[in-house]
Amino acid sequence: MQFEESRILDVLVVRVHESRIVADVAAEFKTGLTAYVTSGKKRVILDLSQVTFIDSSGLGALIGSLKAMGAEGELALCGAQGGVISMLKLTRMDKVFRIFATPEEAASALSLRNGADSETSQP
Amino acid sequence: MVGRFDAAAKGRSNGAVLGAAEREEQYPPTCPRGPGLSSHPGTNQHGKSVGGYVKILLVDDDPVARTIHAMLLQMQGHEVVEAADGELAWRLVEQGNISFVVSDWMMPNLAGVDLCRRIRSSDLDGYIYVILCTAKGTQSDLVEGMDAGADDFLVKPISPEELRVKVRAGERLLRLQQGLAEKNRELAHINHQLHSAHKLVEDDLKAAAWMQQRLLPLPAQNASGVRCAWRLRPSGYIAGDIFNLFQLDESRIGVYLLDVCGHGVPAAMMSVTLSMVLTPDATHGSPLKRIDLATGASQVLLPEDAVRELNRRFQSRDDRYFTMIYGVFDIRSSSLRFAQAGHPSPILIRAGKEPILLGSGGMPIGLWPEIDFDCFNVPVIPGDRILLYSDGVTENINSNGEAFGEARLLGSLRDHRLRSLDDLLQYLLAEITQWGSNSEFTDDVSLLALEITENDVLS
Repeated sequence: MQFEESRILDVLVVRVHESRIVADVAAEFKTGLTAYVTSGKKRVILDLSQVTFIDSSGLGALIGSLKAMGAEGELALCGAQGGVISMLKLTRMDKVFRIFATPEEAASALSLRNGADSETSQP
Repeated sequence: MVGRFDAAAKGRSNGAVLGAAEREEQYPPTCPRGPGLSSHPGTNQHGKSVGGYVKILLVDDDPVARTIHAMLLQMQGHEVVEAADGELAWRLVEQGNISFVVSDWMMPNLAGVDLCRRIRSSDLDGYIYVILCTAKGTQSDLVEGMDAGADDFLVKPISPEELRVKVRAGERLLRLQQGLAEKNRELAHINHQLHSAHKLVEDDLKAAAWMQQRLLPLPAQNASGVRCAWRLRPSGYIAGDIFNLFQLDESRIGVYLLDVCGHGVPAAMMSVTLSMVLTPDATHGSPLKRIDLATGASQVLLPEDAVRELNRRFQSRDDRYFTMIYGVFDIRSSSLRFAQAGHPSPILIRAGKEPILLGSGGMPIGLWPEIDFDCFNVPVIPGDRILLYSDGVTENINSNGEAFGEARLLGSLRDHRLRSLDDLLQYLLAEITQWGSNSEFTDDVSLLALEITENDVLS
């Protein structure tokens, strides 16, 4: 599973290159995403624009990564469409993750430079 | 060639170990052990010579040449069987005891090259190495011989050294073939063991599936005021989905359908546990009721409260969770109250109206301890139908990767709305199966349909 990294403003954006995040790849997805989290990245934007479907295992992995991030960090989502966005809404994950349309909007909201975030931790 | 022995052979089993002087004198000598030759000679299960020497079928119509070559081969330590013509040679080969043939080309009855062809086109066990001997080593002979399947050639008059090394080369090939045959036998044995082990696991799963089926509502089970029908198609043997319907008290009926994250054995174990817990029997701490310890009276909890309690008890340590619809039908008020915990929206099918989705979602159970769950009320009248289902239905994809989807589900329910409750599910299941190209479901498929009936409770 490929994770493409980029940076917008001072925020790390990770785009996952996988069309279906389902049972057999969920563990790999979690390991990959959690690696960013546990390596000290306090602000991560997960770009789901390449993803067409997430099943329950995939959602479990996503939530696991969020829990690993802990209270001091933030894992935000962007680019979710179609089945993915409706699944996130059905499970009320929009109350748990901040969900943005584009990585630019997400970065703008999370960036420290905009003063939008009162945390003093570095990205 | 007489008396060529490898010093390294000294001390190996089988055959007397002779002193140098004795070896020179003995005729024919005992089998020499050269480097690369393996264990002592014996026969394998096909009765063919294995190991240190090879039994060679020597075919030649010229008795003088045959005798000389037989002698040479024997001196080189091989057992020789002679045949004066091709047909006789073929009969010996057919008997199945031959793995090496050294044959003259020009012979009456059956030429060497034709004997070779016959050997190659036969279905005998094990490989037979064939060396053809020809008087003139011309290009066309070589090609014809190779085409017929000969492994090697000797040009007459045959040089003893050439004979020795070519026979040895043949031995190497035969040993290789034997090695492969043994490996194949080993593989077949392992395969058989794997098959048996797999069957044990499968039998276990089948037994578990049967157990799980017994937890589901009986086909004719109805509570007064509600009729139900259901279908469960696990993606494997056992399901992470489970559902039930039961009387909670004199005027209330409980119904639920839940889907444990993932599928297979871990999900099924969780679903079975939950089905044991979700009981109307208040005496064993069911989360669906609250007991007043002072009076012993039990009270049916509102769905959202029951689900909150369930969530409190089933916090997962790994990322496992489950989604659920839990509904309480109050016969007196003729209304259903549902808690929707991250599960696909139930569908209301009312006579004369389009089927509609109920509810907008909710958080799944097991992720965070203190959560309030979404709920909604649905007033119902006799004849109304409610369908609960798992996402294995709507997420089922066809060969183009398109999901069955909610729209198609609603359409299907509209098309079959005049059918009996059971027929409705039968047709629906057939459509879902066909959509997925009739192949195995990748996720469990559950359908639970309720129909509100006339009842005598209202007084």
